[in-house]
Amino acid sequence: MVADERMPYAPYPSPSGTAVAATPVPVTSANGSGPWFLARANLDVLLDLLHEDDRKIIGPTVADGAIVYAEIRSVEDLPTGIGDEQSPGHYDLVDHGDRRVFDYTVGPLSPKRWTFPPVVPLNVGRRDGKAVSFEPSVLEAPRLAFLGVRACELAALGIQDRVFLGGPYTDEDYRNRRRSALVIAVNCTTASSTCFCTSMGTGPEARGGYDLVLTELDEGFVVRAGTPEGADLVAHLPVRGADAGQMFRAAEAIGKVAATMGDPVPTAGLHDRLLAQFDSPRWAKIAERCLSCANCTMVCPTCFCSSVTQRSDLDGDVSTSERVWDFCFTAGFAKVAGGSFRSRPRDRYRQWLTHKFATWVDQFGTFGCVGCGRCITWCPVGIDIRAELLQIAPPLAARPEPARPRPIASTPGSFATARIVSVRPETADVMTLTVGDVDPAFLSGEFGQFAMVAVPAFPPLPISISRFGRDTIDLTIRAAGPATASIIGLGPRDEIGLRGPLGSSWPIERAMGHDVVIVTGGIGLAPLRPLIDGLLAQRERFDAIRLYYGARTPNDQLYREELRGWAARGDIDVQLTVDRAHDDWTGPVGVVTHLFDRATWDGSRSLAFVCGPERMMEATVDALEARGLAPDRIFVTLERHMECGIGLCGHCQTGRLFVCRDGPVFSLAQLGDIFGREGI
Amino acid sequence: MATVAARPRLRVGIVKMASCDGCQLTLLDLEDELLALADRFEIVEFPEASSLRSAGPYDVLLVEGSVSTPDQAEEILELRRQAKLLVTIGACASYGGIQALRNWSDHDAYREAVYAHPEYIESLATATPIAEHVKVDLELHGCPISPEQLREVLVSVAVGRRPQIREEAVCLECKRKGAVCVMVAQGVPCLGPVTQSGCNALCPTFGRGCYGCFGPREQANATSLARTFALGGREGVEVSRLFAGFTGWSAPFRSVIAEYGGPPGMTPPAETRPEGGSDARR
Repeated sequence: MVADERMPYAPYPSPSGTAVAATPVPVTSANGSGPWFLARANLDVLLDLLHEDDRKIIGPTVADGAIVYAEIRSVEDLPTGIGDEQSPGHYDLVDHGDRRVFDYTVGPLSPKRWTFPPVVPLNVGRRDGKAVSFEPSVLEAPRLAFLGVRACELAALGIQDRVFLGGPYTDEDYRNRRRSALVIAVNCTTASSTCFCTSMGTGPEARGGYDLVLTELDEGFVVRAGTPEGADLVAHLPVRGADAGQMFRAAEAIGKVAATMGDPVPTAGLHDRLLAQFDSPRWAKIAERCLSCANCTMVCPTCFCSSVTQRSDLDGDVSTSERVWDFCFTAGFAKVAGGSFRSRPRDRYRQWLTHKFATWVDQFGTFGCVGCGRCITWCPVGIDIRAELLQIAPPLAARPEPARPRPIASTPGSFATARIVSVRPETADVMTLTVGDVDPAFLSGEFGQFAMVAVPAFPPLPISISRFGRDTIDLTIRAAGPATASIIGLGPRDEIGLRGPLGSSWPIERAMGHDVVIVTGGIGLAPLRPLIDGLLAQRERFDAIRLYYGARTPNDQLYREELRGWAARGDIDVQLTVDRAHDDWTGPVGVVTHLFDRATWDGSRSLAFVCGPERMMEATVDALEARGLAPDRIFVTLERHMECGIGLCGHCQTGRLFVCRDGPVFSLAQLGDIFGREGI
Repeated sequence: MATVAARPRLRVGIVKMASCDGCQLTLLDLEDELLALADRFEIVEFPEASSLRSAGPYDVLLVEGSVSTPDQAEEILELRRQAKLLVTIGACASYGGIQALRNWSDHDAYREAVYAHPEYIESLATATPIAEHVKVDLELHGCPISPEQLREVLVSVAVGRRPQIREEAVCLECKRKGAVCVMVAQGVPCLGPVTQSGCNALCPTFGRGCYGCFGPREQANATSLARTFALGGREGVEVSRLFAGFTGWSAPFRSVIAEYGGPPGMTPPAETRPEGGSDARR
């Protein structure tokens, strides 16, 4: 029961991904300030109070294999001991066998069904001779009390308040329904695999927009009031002050839930990232799966679209109009005489996704998504909006990356020791060391990162990590001088010093849903090998993968067995060339760019990862740009003199960049005119 | 359109091809408005209600059933010439109906198996929708059709506007009613997402999957839905069977049926053959 003068009163997700919480209404009740504790056995007193207040209670109950909102007459109707398991396209009830009544997440219905019902009479039109009249339907808003409303649902109500009441024209039916309903919220102490309120900044803890909020413990409920009406209810409940243990356990349960969800939809810059993808081929890809059945929009607690239907008598003299839920996925929705503006399912999906996460922001100042996950669970074919967002509008590789674990030995003087497990010759002058006993920070390193490798008495060397094993890393090293020779000369059980993992990485997530082109020469394959491992480990997330590899001679190719293995897989196109061949080489001879001179692939669908000698990279970049690859989709590594590896020594400074700290992986767009410029 | 006292009544005919007559009976379901309808329309032919026959012409001709005999294939051509507005009613007239399953089968083998004197049976090897024979102005879907949609067609003709028949999935009716999705919550295969609405989600709201009697909706992505059924662990023939129902002959469902190996049982089992000498028509 919140007056609309205070609207928008519920927290809603701001485009920056953090909730904008409404200022809680000061509670003026004389009954202390809370929080209170309501024993489980006394929950029925709350329900009785609501009934005495002449309210219908809309709360959770089990029906047709799900926990749905429906009219609740007593605590017997609540889902005692019942929970839910949700995943894309699947919903299951589970029996917890305990006495909890709110130990589930959101079902297919939301309070929207009562605040914005699916069918509402609008008017009756009449014709009498030449005169016509329209009599608006006057509806009395039912006195409701919503019980069990979750933080994401409160945020959704806040969003619909902005849509229906925040603009120059308002929906009075909605206003009446909102005004006459009491909201009793419940903090989530469990999350489904489909939940992502943490990303949208809406939950799992209710931060306004409720009259009362409960947090369920085994023995009962921690209760807080958000409005005078809520405080008035508390005054009539058999509560006592919650003790410190109860308050702690309530907070702990909510905190744990938040931790399980993580941040699956990074919202920073999402608006712009998404709007930049209007022409993405990914839309057509999604449309292969999308049924355009509108289930996602129908279960969405913020979708607000509707159509008006007429039903008239045979003479057309009396007609009744109704407003019915309608959705951007239906054919008629964007239709005019002559056809539909969004005739293809891909257009409709794009409309839905870009509206939720971009144009909604422009219209209403919030996202149109609260992270409840309903559209994921209730999609008959299990399309996961989170995965689609990552594919269509992947987060930019932000730098510096706050999430990256801090490298070990991150001061210039320090190295952590690790032990060589095995040594494997690759060519006459290249060895791969497999190194164990490494700090765990290395094992969570990213593809393309490097390590500073030290043995006493020699200058430390930057060596790219050529594989991330389960508990080892590989370092592939060419004997180029005394320092490298000293490392190559080591054997199993010898120790070395490591600092790292350091530097930037190949942005593999940006390649999801795209073609991948890898062009490399000589030992340049080493830093690309983890990328190839990563691509193949999630092969289905990428379209065509093409590897072009040039070496001086067949004997100078790295990882020859693996190259054969990759080629044999059939799902990665491996093309090899050499500068000079011996007699048993049957492949092409020539520079690596000749390998794709006559290829037919479309560069505009591709991301390219390039590593090799700088001359080779320049020629490759020219060839890639000629095929339509934009500079922000071509990634190269720069090789420079590095000593510290952490941007402190100044050796590798290149224009405004430190190659070790800001690179070594750069997009061409990032490098601008630095790339290929002599003497910089 | 102003009410005019001396308005001529529109001539409405109902004719049937191969059908069960359930769709034309739907007209009688409009009980409350039958008198008003009779005031506006002259029902000149209605086999289930009257023995009167008419040769036309018709302002509105409602055609029930699919074309399944050589006679029907000729008759529909003449009916089209007599009709100003030709409206097919039901799954048979619009998609071929359940009898269109014969289109995949060995027609002659079944005829031999079922009838003691197959030489008396004059039927086509296929049962086909009216639109494969003549131009159709409007199709009403369903098995049977929705009385509300039939009413809407008649009202729109009377008032002189376009009929408002929603182009949307059954799911919209299901969710507007607040039903829990049988597919997501119970794993029941349901054609609702690819099927035209109009039934008010009758089957799903009684806990069973939609079997598509209203036929494919516009942009029906039957391929994706079939893939989901298959990924749920169903054999190809099962996937095929789900689509091979009352509207299986529609183009989107037909291509899925073909992709998953065709409907089962397309040749008669040997034991169904009648005893020699018995007369099936007796």
